[in-house]
Amino acid sequence: MPERLVLLKYRDVPGMDDIAVYEKHGGYEALRKAVAMERQSVIDEVKTSGLRGRGGAGFPTWIKWNGIPKDTKQPHYVLCNADEGEPGTFKDRELMLRLPHMVVEGIIIGAYATLSRQGYIYIRGEFTEPARSIRRAIDQAYARGYLGRNILGVSGFDFDLDIHMGAGSYECGEETALMSSLMGERGQPRLKMPHAPLPVIEGVWRSPTLINNVETYATVPHIILNGGAWYASMGTERSKGTKVMSVSGHVKRPGNYEIEMGTPLMELIELAGGVTGGELKAVIPGGSSVPILPAAKCPGVTLDYEGCQAAGTMLGSGGFMVFNDRTDIVLLMRRTAEFYAHESCGKCTPCREGTRWMLKIFDRIVSGGGQPSDIDLLVDICNQMDGRSFCPLGDAAAWPIRASIKEFRNEYEYWIEHKASPVGPDCVPPVPKRLNPILPKLSRTW
Amino acid sequence: MAGTGPRLPIVGGVAEPQPAPAKEYRFSEQAVAELNEIVSHYPEKKAAMLPALWIAQREYGGVLTPQALQEVADRLGRSYAEVEGVATFYSMYNFQRRGRHHLEVCTCLTCGAANAYAVVHKLEERLGIGLGEVTPDGEFSLGEVECLNWCEAATVVQVGDRYYGYVSPENVDALLQELKKDEDHTPQAQADTIVRLHLRGRTSAETNAPNSGDAE
Repeated sequence: MPERLVLLKYRDVPGMDDIAVYEKHGGYEALRKAVAMERQSVIDEVKTSGLRGRGGAGFPTWIKWNGIPKDTKQPHYVLCNADEGEPGTFKDRELMLRLPHMVVEGIIIGAYATLSRQGYIYIRGEFTEPARSIRRAIDQAYARGYLGRNILGVSGFDFDLDIHMGAGSYECGEETALMSSLMGERGQPRLKMPHAPLPVIEGVWRSPTLINNVETYATVPHIILNGGAWYASMGTERSKGTKVMSVSGHVKRPGNYEIEMGTPLMELIELAGGVTGGELKAVIPGGSSVPILPAAKCPGVTLDYEGCQAAGTMLGSGGFMVFNDRTDIVLLMRRTAEFYAHESCGKCTPCREGTRWMLKIFDRIVSGGGQPSDIDLLVDICNQMDGRSFCPLGDAAAWPIRASIKEFRNEYEYWIEHKASPVGPDCVPPVPKRLNPILPKLSRTW
Repeated sequence: MAGTGPRLPIVGGVAEPQPAPAKEYRFSEQAVAELNEIVSHYPEKKAAMLPALWIAQREYGGVLTPQALQEVADRLGRSYAEVEGVATFYSMYNFQRRGRHHLEVCTCLTCGAANAYAVVHKLEERLGIGLGEVTPDGEFSLGEVECLNWCEAATVVQVGDRYYGYVSPENVDALLQELKKDEDHTPQAQADTIVRLHLRGRTSAETNAPNSGDAE
C-alpha cells in the first residue's frame, strides 16, 4: 500500500503557505461550502466521516463538536492544540509550516459549527518557525475576510483567531493543562470526567470549549469538501481515513508519511526506505508514551487504533520510531524515564515521585549497581502509577517501561548481571557520562 | 552572639518591614502598547501572563530578574508570588543569564539514538563548559532539552528561535563559526520573536523566514 495523500497532497507545491496559492488549489472552498450549510449538517458530515482525534487519544471528533451547547448564553471558544511535544512526533510542525491555511480553515469551520467567536492556537514556545507561518496565514485570512466580522458575508458569523505561545512544557499538550496555561497559570491539569464536566461544557474560562489537535482541524476542510462518506471510505471499520505518521530513527528516509488507516506496520518501514545500520529490533509506533513492539511482533500489526491495540500498543500521536539492533533497550527506557521525570508537572504524587524513582533505579542499573529485585521494583512502580495519577502523563510514563520489561526482560537481567550493555560498548543511546541531570533546574544566579 | 555581619532588626521574632526598593520599570512604551494589545485578545487580564513574561524576558536582557517578575505582577494586577509560581513552571523562561547564543541540544529518544550525546560532548570540549554553564566571554551557553519535535533531522539543536537540524560532531565547528557572526538568535531576539507572534496584522516579508536549514 503506497502513501495515501489527503492532507499532504500539496506539501511540495511551492508557496502553499501563501493564501493565493492555497486558494488556487481549492483553499477556503470548504469554508464557503460550510457556511452555506446548516451548522448541524457540518457536524453531521464530521460524524459521517468517522474522524477521530489525531492528538493521540483517538476520541471521536464529532462528539466534541456536537457537545458544544447550541445556544450562546455563554461565549464559546475554539482551541487548537499545537503544543506538539510527544517525542518522535513532528507532523503538526510540518502541517503548520507548509500548510498553515489548511489548519486555519479547519479551525474557522469548527468555529462556525460551534457558534464560537474567539479561538486560540496554543503553539509550543520552541515552534517559532511554524508559528510564523501560522501568523502569516491568520493575517492573510483576515485580509481576505475569512476571519473577522460577518465572515464571507454571513451576517453574525464573527470569529477572531489568536496565537498563544507556550514557554516550554510537555504537560501543556494535555488539554486541561493547556487551558490552565492559556489562562495564565502553571500548566497543570484540571479535574476531568466523571469528576468535572467535559471541556465542551466547562472548558477555558469555565465556558464551552472545543479543543482539537492540529491534524484533526487540518482534516476537516477535506471532509467538508469531499463529503464525510468519501473520508469514511478510506481506512478500516473503526479507524477511518488517513493518518500522518512521523517516521524517525534508524530508517533510510525519515519524514512524515501519510497512510491509509490499516496499512501494515512493515510497509511503513519500507516506505521510509527500510531499516539502516542493522536489523530491526523494535518499533515505538505512536510516540514515547506507547508500549514498545519487539521486531518479532511487528509483522501482522496494522496501523490503526484497533490494530495497534490488538498488538498491545497504541497508535497514539503517530510518532513512529524505528530502532535497529545496536539499540540498548534499557538505556532507551532510561532516557524515556528521564523525559517523564523532567516533564512531570508535580501536581500528583504517583507521577511526581514515581517518575523520579524509576529514573533513579535506571541510573542504578546502568551505573553497575543494579540488583535482581530492581526489575520487579520497576514493574511495581509502574503498576502503582498506572491509573492512579491525576492525568495521563503518569500512565504514559509507566506503559513503555512496563512493556519493555515484558518484551526485553533478558536485557535488564544482562545489565544487572554483567554491569554492561548486552549490545556492546557501541550501543545507542550511549551509556550516559552523567547520571540524573534533571533536578537542579531552579538554581539561580541573579 | 555568633556572627558579626549586619543583622535584620528583629521585633518579636518577625522581621520589621523594610522599605520597598524603588520601583524602576523597564517596559518601553512600545512594550506597554504590545502588552495592552495582547491583553485585549483575552476575556481577562491574567491570561496575558505568558506573553507578559516573554515581554519581560526581552526587556530585561534575556533573563527574568525579581524586578522583571515584579513589573509583570504590577502590570497585570497579580501578586509577585503568583507570577513567580507561573514563570518557574516553564523551562524557557531564564532565571540565570544565558550566553549570547544559548545552544540547546535535543537528547531525547530519536536524537539520543542518533548521535546527540556525541554532539553534546563535542560542544563541551570546544566551548570548555559543561551543561548549564556560560563561556567566560558570555558568547555561548549550553543546555540539554527534551524532544524538539523535528526528529527527522536528528540531531536537532535549538539556538534562540531557530532550529538547526542534522547536527553531528563533524559539523559542530561550522555551526559555532556561523553563530559567532550571527546576531539574530540571542535570548532577547527569541523573546522578541515570540512576543511579535501574538500581534495581529504585523506580517511582513521578513516574518516569512525560510525553513530551518542544515548546520552545514
